[in-house]
Amino acid sequence: MTKTQSVLAAALPLLLGSAFALAAQAPRQPMSFFVTSVGMGKGGDLGGLAGADAYCQQLATAVGGGAKTWHAYLSTQARPGQPAVNARDRIGTGPWYNSKGQPISDTQAELHGDTLEQAQRGSNLFKQSALTEKGDVVNGVGSTPNTHDMLTGSQPDGRAYTDNADHTCNNWTSSGAGSAQLGHSDRTGGGNTSWNSAHASRACSQADLVATGGAGLFYCFAIN
Amino acid sequence: MTRTTSVVALCTLSLLAGSGSFLAYAQQNPAPRQPMSFFVTSVGLGKGANLGGLAGADAHCQQLATAAGAGGKTWRAYLSTQARPGQPAVNARDRIGTGPWYNAKGDMIAPDLAHLHGDTIELARMGNNITKLTDITEKGAIVPGLTDGTNPRDREVAYMREHPESNRHETLTGSMPDGRAFTDNRDHTCSNWTSEAKGVSDNLRENTGANAQVGMSDRNGGGNGSWNSAHGTAGCGQDDLARTHGIGLYYCFAIN
Repeated sequence: MTKTQSVLAAALPLLLGSAFALAAQAPRQPMSFFVTSVGMGKGGDLGGLAGADAYCQQLATAVGGGAKTWHAYLSTQARPGQPAVNARDRIGTGPWYNSKGQPISDTQAELHGDTLEQAQRGSNLFKQSALTEKGDVVNGVGSTPNTHDMLTGSQPDGRAYTDNADHTCNNWTSSGAGSAQLGHSDRTGGGNTSWNSAHASRACSQADLVATGGAGLFYCFAIN
Repeated sequence: MTRTTSVVALCTLSLLAGSGSFLAYAQQNPAPRQPMSFFVTSVGLGKGANLGGLAGADAHCQQLATAAGAGGKTWRAYLSTQARPGQPAVNARDRIGTGPWYNAKGDMIAPDLAHLHGDTIELARMGNNITKLTDITEKGAIVPGLTDGTNPRDREVAYMREHPESNRHETLTGSMPDGRAFTDNRDHTCSNWTSEAKGVSDNLRENTGANAQVGMSDRNGGGNGSWNSAHGTAGCGQDDLARTHGIGLYYCFAIN
């Protein structure tokens, strides 16, 4: 693929909110991505990955999306006898669509910016597309309360941290000590525009998450 | 710094940072407010993407900055031009100095060219600090974006003029995501910012004619939310820009 072709190809995916959307009359795609409309209420304690996945499945089922298999976009860190789990390895291969059928990303590489060009351009995940399973925009900077902090426990490339510090509220079981790495659903704040790795939480209680503009929300992806 | 100013600065920082640790840092280190060295033009030149070339676009930046009390700096439009016979290409990123750049409220946009454009994959994944709330005009106003002032007529020039609250997030750059000029044979700069020509199709995907590459000032829409290189336009006239929520605005940077 020539450079020109690749630039064109990158510009081709549906352009939300532009005249393109009117021109594209493809059948509406079923939802395969959403932000949890409410948190589980116990800060960074999600009952581990299993608890978080079940919560994704439950919210999806409530809006008629239960036929798909849903996984939370969360990493866990390595522990003795327990290897790390990377969020990006849990969510299938895409493409993923929001609850209005709008594209979020075609591929893992686009979602995470695996090449320099992809990383510079970014995916289609932004404030007006990162909708809840009910189709609502998530409150961001400037809204009250701001709930844009997304639990991810991940580095910008979608992988688990490999250092000794806690980035996952003890693999999503702590509602007290520790810290969780957070992304921003509105890609605003913290001096960067990262959707999945903007800054760390203060600690792991629900109040700690609220303090920096969160509510314990996270991303859910369908793997099929 | 007066007490009022520092309180305002802290509120701004906390609003934008969305991070408790960032706020704590700001409280411990009340730095003086930085003068403006970045803005989005509050108004366009009115002739679509015909800006009178780079010289005309730079002069518009300087004029708007001067009116806002920032004429002491030298201002450049963030625009690329493409190579023509006897005339090499110009890269937008090579025109704007080395940073750091701050908006009209003193918020840092990026510390240097590498952060602004994401020159390494780590930097690119994190992105710069250009968001709807930070890439404000020289007057400190937010540029309306996707879903603002939504109306069926919000793609018409007359309506957009009468309704300053309507979406106008498409920002002229003529640049690739890395901030450099395109090197193919298609037009991405409305003939180096001198043309109001129509494109060959109203459908952007089919328009291989006159057009300008645009970024999204609100980082919303356009398929990727890129601030400087989301897609092309349907043509170069004011009507053509309006069709996809543009009114001919662009970024200005101070080089000093």
